[in-house]
Amino acid sequence: MANQKEECDHMALKPLEIYKLLPKKNCKECGDPTCLTFAMKLAGGKAKPEACPYLDENAKTILGASTRPPVRKIRIGVGERAVTIGEELVQFRHEKSFFHEPGIFMAVTDLMTPGAIQERVIFVRDEILTRVGTDLRLNGIAVRSVNGSPTAFTKAVEAVEAVADLPEVLMAGDPAVMEAGLSVCGNYRPLLHAATSSQYWEMCRLAKKYACPLAIRADSLDALAELSGLCSAEGIENLVLDLSSLSLSEQLNRSTAVRQHAVSRKTPALGHPVCIDTAVSGLPDAALIAGVTKFGSVLICDDLSSASRKALLVLRQNIYTDPQKPIQITPGLYRVGSPGKDAPVLLTVNFSLTFFTLQGYLEASRVPCFMLIVDTEGLSVLTAVASGKLQETLVRDAIAKYNLSAEVAHKRLIIPGYAAPLSGRIEDATGWKVLVGPRDAADISEFLEKEWKG
Amino acid sequence: MMGVSTLSEWTGRIGELVIGATAKDGGTRSHSVTIGGEEDLPYIGIPPSGHRPLVAYELSDDPELWPAAATRFIGDRVHDTAEWVAHADREYQPDLIRLYLSSTRERNFSDISRIGETVESVLQATELPLIIEGSNDPAIDSAVFQKIGEAAEGERILLGTAEAGHYRSVAAAAMAYGHSVIAQSPIDINLAKQLNILLRETGLSPDRIAIDPYTGALGYGFEYSYSVMERIRYSALKGDSDLAMPMISSAIDSLVVKEVREADEGDACPTAIAWEIYAMLPATIAGASIVCVRHPLSIEPLKTAIAALWNGEPKGGM
Repeated sequence: MANQKEECDHMALKPLEIYKLLPKKNCKECGDPTCLTFAMKLAGGKAKPEACPYLDENAKTILGASTRPPVRKIRIGVGERAVTIGEELVQFRHEKSFFHEPGIFMAVTDLMTPGAIQERVIFVRDEILTRVGTDLRLNGIAVRSVNGSPTAFTKAVEAVEAVADLPEVLMAGDPAVMEAGLSVCGNYRPLLHAATSSQYWEMCRLAKKYACPLAIRADSLDALAELSGLCSAEGIENLVLDLSSLSLSEQLNRSTAVRQHAVSRKTPALGHPVCIDTAVSGLPDAALIAGVTKFGSVLICDDLSSASRKALLVLRQNIYTDPQKPIQITPGLYRVGSPGKDAPVLLTVNFSLTFFTLQGYLEASRVPCFMLIVDTEGLSVLTAVASGKLQETLVRDAIAKYNLSAEVAHKRLIIPGYAAPLSGRIEDATGWKVLVGPRDAADISEFLEKEWKG
Repeated sequence: MMGVSTLSEWTGRIGELVIGATAKDGGTRSHSVTIGGEEDLPYIGIPPSGHRPLVAYELSDDPELWPAAATRFIGDRVHDTAEWVAHADREYQPDLIRLYLSSTRERNFSDISRIGETVESVLQATELPLIIEGSNDPAIDSAVFQKIGEAAEGERILLGTAEAGHYRSVAAAAMAYGHSVIAQSPIDINLAKQLNILLRETGLSPDRIAIDPYTGALGYGFEYSYSVMERIRYSALKGDSDLAMPMISSAIDSLVVKEVREADEGDACPTAIAWEIYAMLPATIAGASIVCVRHPLSIEPLKTAIAALWNGEPKGGM
């Protein structure tokens, strides 16, 4: 873990580097006793550079940039389903964490009937996948202008708005068509997709008028950075960089380059969230996977199979889980099937990976049983045994607390294979007979069949 | 303004590992494959450095221990390992075959000669480079790995699996018969490094090691494996030669997770495939050089996706 901190440090200026930019007057006007303490607060993000009235222009530019998140935070939509993206700090999730999950937008087109549009919108609105106590869902609707007429686009947006308050991406290259869509949903902060070098001032005008975020597109990253600057000059800062490509290789290379340039602050014009239209490559699953893992913040897809949707939502949950925090399960007595008084009791730890893996294999074994989950603060069996977190007293207390004697008519406890060194001590402390189970949960079914004779 | 592209600050390089030997090299494979060789992050660079990630198809000499979602497709052939291998090679065209000699996990297993026969029949059934998984029991390891190594002598297979408490017999067989070794550690970069050092001390050359950082299934710890692979790759590129070996990843529980087992009838097969692809393609993005699947229909889409991530058409800058 030692080098993990090192890996993070390039993100922002260090206190002494900031101090060099300050007036060093110790005037206290910022509210801090000295410029050095102010510098330390700035470095920690706990103060704003504006609090100092004596900063020169150069210092303002540098400090302003370094205290802003390297990837701009942007909100799409309004209300409880609104999506927040950006505000990312790192290139690898192990350096700290990724913060804002990408919004996944399912596309409809203005060639579809209102009925077909609404069917898809209602699906996005209502479909929920619940896992590990969390509701996972798609986020919004992208409306594609294919027909080319403003009227058709208006009708499509109206069909969407009629059934849901979901965040939207309006996809129209013609500013007149875009404005037609905005006349319906302009007050609900849709993402406008997309400005190019040939019409950006028109798109900027619309983005300003309706206070909407704006996606921009260009043929190369150089051109994209330039376009980003042009839009900023028009007063539009809430920009999203469209990196959709026919080539998945190009998509991945570009999104990586954008994140590197953003977090290193080498190219602040690229310090914006990334949007990927995953239909462009012709390999939507692969484009979604590359988008979720490598820096996509707005992912647009056409129809998704039920299997792909589930896997995609779970992958997104996995990648955006805080890697510093082991996921924990609430300690307690869990039932697999409807265990009776003779059912086996299996001890394990409250690391969720361990829990779910064992639970899966127990369900597959079709032997009703109890899982006694003790609190190892989310450590795995191996680590909990090695660190002494898993001890006989913990087991004894859990047996008493969850009143195991009332649940089963025997006193036999199956412990994980890796906890074998504790078997004697657990027997002494609890008075229960210990059976050492397999090391690998995959072998539990066979173990129960052969070793458990209730 | 010129030259916004990926930033490369790397000094290290991933070593290359060759699997399979052709007649020219004393084996019987139609070709050999090389993995590793990267000098940047996975898929980065147009074209990327090193070698394209490969897809291995996993099967077992004991179908009883194999997930039903995988064997259903193969039908009765699962009872004849060689026939299963030949069928998979012909119909699904994986880059590699990974054979699990799961029969050695049976209680009191002692039929060592059968192991040799199985390996020989599989070598006959396919000309693809092979990965072979032996036993996990100190009582028989030495005999099992010796037998596999001997039966596949000259074929330069990748032999699994060495673990911290369990690596000498695998390494010994690999060195005696010219094979390479899978070194598995439990989702921990430091333990991965330690095991590589232990293996080196047995005399095994670093270009004979593939790191297996252990892969949890999607939704069941996959994120830990994903990040460990990223950290291993990052450290290797930063110059840590004890971690600069190519990686192999297999989310072995993919087809037995709840989502796959409990999927509706019509959804079961697509869910099984999605659960493998949505873990294994990210694994290649995190740095795995070989990814493994058990559902035969996962192979083709995975190979297509890898090829699309790999083959960038240069378009004059980025």
